[in-house]
Amino acid sequence: MAKSPAQTPDAVDVRQSVAKAEQSLYASVLAIRGRHEIERLGIAFYDAETTLQWSYNADLAFHAASTMKLAVLLAVFRQYTRGELTLDEPVHVRNKFVSIYDRKPYMLDINRDTEGEIYDHLGRTMSVKQLAYYMITCSSNFATNLLVDVVGVPVIQTALDELKIDGIRVLRGVEDHGAFEAGLNNEVTANGLLKLLRLVAEGKAYGEEASAQMREILLDQRYKSGIPAGLPQAARVAHKTGNISTVHHDAGIVYLEGRKPYVLVILTQFSSETGRTTAVADVSRDIYECLAGMNGG
Amino acid sequence: MAETETESGLKIVDAFDLEPDLRALLRPGELVEGIGGQYHHLPRYFYEIPSHEAARQIRVTPHFGLNEFLLVDLKEAARIRAFPRYVPCAIRILAFYLERLREATGAPVHLAVNGGYRSPAHKLSVAATPHMWATAADVYKIGTVVLRERASIETYNRLIEDLTDDLYVMPYGHEIGKADDHIHVDLGYVSIVPREISEDRLEGPQPRPRFAYEERRRGDRRGWPREPLPEVLPAAAHGSPSGHDK
Ligand SMILES: [Zn+2]
Repeated sequence: MAKSPAQTPDAVDVRQSVAKAEQSLYASVLAIRGRHEIERLGIAFYDAETTLQWSYNADLAFHAASTMKLAVLLAVFRQYTRGELTLDEPVHVRNKFVSIYDRKPYMLDINRDTEGEIYDHLGRTMSVKQLAYYMITCSSNFATNLLVDVVGVPVIQTALDELKIDGIRVLRGVEDHGAFEAGLNNEVTANGLLKLLRLVAEGKAYGEEASAQMREILLDQRYKSGIPAGLPQAARVAHKTGNISTVHHDAGIVYLEGRKPYVLVILTQFSSETGRTTAVADVSRDIYECLAGMNGG
Repeated sequence: MAETETESGLKIVDAFDLEPDLRALLRPGELVEGIGGQYHHLPRYFYEIPSHEAARQIRVTPHFGLNEFLLVDLKEAARIRAFPRYVPCAIRILAFYLERLREATGAPVHLAVNGGYRSPAHKLSVAATPHMWATAADVYKIGTVVLRERASIETYNRLIEDLTDDLYVMPYGHEIGKADDHIHVDLGYVSIVPREISEDRLEGPQPRPRFAYEERRRGDRRGWPREPLPEVLPAAAHGSPSGHDK
């Protein structure tokens, strides 16, 4: 994918500035890591404007937390593109799921505060599209499990395999404690999520129409303390966060006025439970500033 | 209820006469195995419901609309979800019993999605369940009570058991064969042959499709003048005069 510029003085300039940018990024990421006492850190980045690609521990596997919902979204649109699912099909909103480990039924611990509108639909139906929207924008666990049920875990993995996305492993839905205790967990690497989001950004995730619909949902993300918090107000970010106890992730496509987007994945894990942290936002800011510097701005 | 015009009855079809894709989904007369290892013949005679509008307007009993028994999600086969839709004629008997339940509780009885008729192609139709005969109902809410706790489910289960021996009630519990987020009632594997149908026909598609229109049983729906009935019974046994319209 890397561009091979001709040996013009301009190209030499670009290469020098890229090398400089990479060095400064590396230094500032190490500083952030130390400052926030991050135990494990994974970063992957690709800029469509400069074709700059940069990563840090990008093949290190993390607990996926809610970033696995990106893979569920992908699988939904796979089924949609293949005509096996229409987006307005009704899904029974029922809080009853079956563990993939021992087939034992389980329920999610939900209430109106955590699930809002979906909770109000208990016992009725919502469309596939509505559920996909809540799964991403509000990170609804309930919507996620309903959609995992609709498409099935094997189809999620098939979608990832078909698009040659290594580094994302989805084995189960959310809060499946039976599976959790058996060590069946969803994992992601920064490179895996980067690949997925690049396909979505470039219109290659089951075609431009499906990709555009996925981007539209991702752009409505309501949790903005990660990547967007390190960017100017005007930036638009199509992204998905993932936060539980010791991990804080964000993975997204960043749209800035007058340039092609860049895709950024930041995965963090702390040694003990942390509430709010600005680590992800700090990395996001550094990368933005680095790019701004390269553009001479 | 000033309705005086004659309603036409619902169309009854022999599922052997339906187009092949539908027949393959409904599997009329086929033997299917239940969880206990018993086999049962799937129903053969269905009401045909032409449109969503019709499903909403047709009332099976005073408090139950036909549409309430047809609520399904994408677990049901897409063709079964598309109109014209088909529901086994035994739905009428189920509705009769649910109406008794409604009377006993004095509150609206809400059927769950996928809690009425489920075709043999429905993803929840793993073994012969009376839902495939339209003789089972999953109730998830009675009045404002959402049935999610042991106490409410067992209270209503008891009430139903006291109401009639005809209904089987699923016990409360988390395992298969038990229910913890609804009340399941069923009448067993009841198939009915509507009086308008003749049974001297082969089980296979016929050159001329067989169907009949169910006659409306209630006189007022057939356009008969609705006059006060003569006093046959002593008034005291019946309570008020409105007791005629039971
Ligand atoms: Zn049931």
